[in-house]
Amino acid sequence: MDVLNLAHGAFFAWGAYAGFAVLNALNGLGWVETGTLGQGILSVLLALLAALAIGGVLGLFLERVIIQRVYGDHLKQILITMGASMVLAEVIKVLWSPNNQTVLVPLSFTGSYDVMDVVINKFRVVAIVVGLAVYAGVMAVMQKTKLGIIIRAGVENREVVQTLGYNINRIFTGVFMAGAALAAVGGSMWGIFREQITPAMGDENLIFALIVVIIGGMGSVTGSFLGACMVGLAFNYVAYLVPKLALGANILIMVIILLIKPWGLMGREQ
Amino acid sequence: MTGQAPTPVQMERQRQRARRYTRPGFLIQLALLACLVAGPMLMPSFRVMDLVAKIMIFAVAVASFDIILGYTGIISFAHGMFFGLGAYSVALICHYSQPVQYHHLLLAGLLAALISAVVAVVISALSLRVKAIFFAMVTLAVAEFCHILGYQWSSLTKGEDGVSFKLPGVFNADWSGGSLWGTQINGRLLVYYLILVVAVLLFVGLVRFVRSPVGRVLKAIRDNEQRATALGYRVFRYRVLSTVFGSLVSSLCGALFAMWLSYVNPDTVLGTPLMLNILLMVIIGGLGTVYGGILGAAFIKIAETWLPDLQKLALSLWPKVEFMQRLAERWILLFGILYILSVLFFPKGVVGTLRDRAEVRRLRRLGRP
Amino acid sequence: MPEAILSLAGVHTHLGQHHILQGVSLEAARGRATVLLGRNGAGKSTTLRTVMGLTPASAGSVVFDGRAIEKARPYAVARAGVGFVPEDQAVLRGLTVEENFRLAMLQESPEAWAKLDTIFELFADLKKFWRAKAGVLSGGQKQMLAIARAFVGDHKLLLIDEPSKGLAPIVVDHLIASLNQLKQHTTIILVEQNFHLASQVGSDYFILDDGRVVHSGLMKALVDDEGLKQSSA
Repeated sequence: MDVLNLAHGAFFAWGAYAGFAVLNALNGLGWVETGTLGQGILSVLLALLAALAIGGVLGLFLERVIIQRVYGDHLKQILITMGASMVLAEVIKVLWSPNNQTVLVPLSFTGSYDVMDVVINKFRVVAIVVGLAVYAGVMAVMQKTKLGIIIRAGVENREVVQTLGYNINRIFTGVFMAGAALAAVGGSMWGIFREQITPAMGDENLIFALIVVIIGGMGSVTGSFLGACMVGLAFNYVAYLVPKLALGANILIMVIILLIKPWGLMGREQ
Repeated sequence: MTGQAPTPVQMERQRQRARRYTRPGFLIQLALLACLVAGPMLMPSFRVMDLVAKIMIFAVAVASFDIILGYTGIISFAHGMFFGLGAYSVALICHYSQPVQYHHLLLAGLLAALISAVVAVVISALSLRVKAIFFAMVTLAVAEFCHILGYQWSSLTKGEDGVSFKLPGVFNADWSGGSLWGTQINGRLLVYYLILVVAVLLFVGLVRFVRSPVGRVLKAIRDNEQRATALGYRVFRYRVLSTVFGSLVSSLCGALFAMWLSYVNPDTVLGTPLMLNILLMVIIGGLGTVYGGILGAAFIKIAETWLPDLQKLALSLWPKVEFMQRLAERWILLFGILYILSVLFFPKGVVGTLRDRAEVRRLRRLGRP
Repeated sequence: MPEAILSLAGVHTHLGQHHILQGVSLEAARGRATVLLGRNGAGKSTTLRTVMGLTPASAGSVVFDGRAIEKARPYAVARAGVGFVPEDQAVLRGLTVEENFRLAMLQESPEAWAKLDTIFELFADLKKFWRAKAGVLSGGQKQMLAIARAFVGDHKLLLIDEPSKGLAPIVVDHLIASLNQLKQHTTIILVEQNFHLASQVGSDYFILDDGRVVHSGLMKALVDDEGLKQSSA
């Protein structure tokens, strides 16, 4: 969308907290820690749904109130979304607490599969499936549907798309909401996976997201996918060998990629 | 050029030069300097001296950030990191050299300048070639990395606990040199004056930099990159130059900050809150003004000093409401909202808005001679 | 005098500090091609953009097909039946020719696709580059695409801003032929600096200067009047 949103990490954290709150509430009903498999799945689904909703609402609010005033001005976008991210993180601290929280996870989602002596965490499988589904979905919408055409056209020239009879402002609000909602769902999955959340988790993950996007090239979903694979693999290997340098390894990769391809792997010169 | 009548531009310049020492701006600067020099004598309160010293340091740090953001139009999220690099240079050298000598301070300053210059060159050479946005993202990532490094490399940085150290000779907090006109001369006071001298020098350096031909080229690049390129300026080089210069000054500010506190830890000199503070100060003071840094730094630092009192007020007003207490604790939230509002509605900051008004008045005077 | 499809009365438009349109009043007749003439900065393009709602009028009325549209947003004006071809061949370069057309069809109905056959007759090149990115087309082809795109949207009125700008004379001749074909299907308002094109396509004219209409009449009369032609072209 040609909007630089540094508040994306905040959506991520909000999603995690929304999921956390839902799981906590459902645990009061005895669904989560002691519930059956069905109740466990249902409560995780409800948590993800809550994250989706909260992400959408926050995205709507942020886009309408703030971002719509700074379209086309990257400098202001960066400055203002940085501020928004700070405010959202602070509100989390006010509503919950500045400290870490432990996420309650249904029993059926902990534990792991054992496939030919390789131990695979159960929730990891869920995460991979959801991730691939989202990637395929985004690709399909952008490339094949009318909506995708409108969005791609709107990024290039808002005015022309408007004069063709589309309310581009409303469409972009929708796209922004969708992005925020996806980030929030990602956040709640992360929270369930790690079983622990902090108000700063948004910032930490934003750094990874930025590195992924820089490596992959801006505006390319496939590039982001490649970048995410590289970052994830490098992080895990280095974290296994020298845990303290894991982030450094990713920055090193980013530096090397920028040296060879200044626009990122799949980025095109503009 | 002899015998030629001066052009109108030259005449205007000469006229301005003749008025140089009678302008209100100059008088304000002089008065401010006098206050800073005489301050500790007149108001021997540690709280005030602490506040003023921090304002001076941050005024220069913010002004140097303004060189990058306001004059060159690129966003560096690593300004706080350079500040921290400077602070850690001083802290580590003073901490590990026994006994600490004066030349260690000098060495630390040089080291701070060298490290920050090298890091700034590498970062900007990598990411400024493409697009200013890449620079913002790369600096954000690198700054976060340094923050984590500050925590994790505990054999060197002592991690979360931070590094405390002693300054050499007369700058040591324990040193005392009697009293002069009723004021205690001690290590603290001398560090204050050291900060004053260095900060003023750096600030004057920044102002000269902005008014130099290089500064004018930077403004041209910010306003119209294509035209500046077409005029034959190597945009990339100028951007790298200004980034390196701004970052270098920031690291020296960090060095001063470390000397003032005699202590550093990753959160105070490398963390995101520091970077956000600098952003807030530059936005409130006004982008592209340099002098705005002084106002922005003063506003935020004074507000920070008084906010604990505000919290107590909130506690006494709503003693039972836990939510309000939590809200009062999170004063960064207030700063954040203030920051967003000023980016949206007050993008030129205090100094920028005042300057615009003065410019309109001047033009109106010119229009009606 | 045939019925007016679009009429502006006392329209004022401000762009920031500048007062661009200072009371423009004009009428475009249904089924004819109206040309707006005038020197640079006279307010011709702004007139079109004001009709479209891109630079909203600060005063005055704009009536299209019996509806007041001076307060309507651009997408609403477009949905009401006004097509707009901006200057500088504003095609969407990242999209293929096909996608450009799909974007232009608000409903992808069989009638809309049938209309493409008419377009391929007028602009044969567009069929050849159907799956190519619009960015690789030549200047003339881009202009054809921009016009055809507005045409496929099934509009009652087409606003075309300087179609000949930056095109070679031979391409302009082809453009004239195409526009004259187009005239058979829809009403056109054209902003044009190229008097040759204007005189070949236009049936009525308005001359703007300093944000006001200073002269108007039948194109035929203007072509005959050598003196006025010199001062306006």
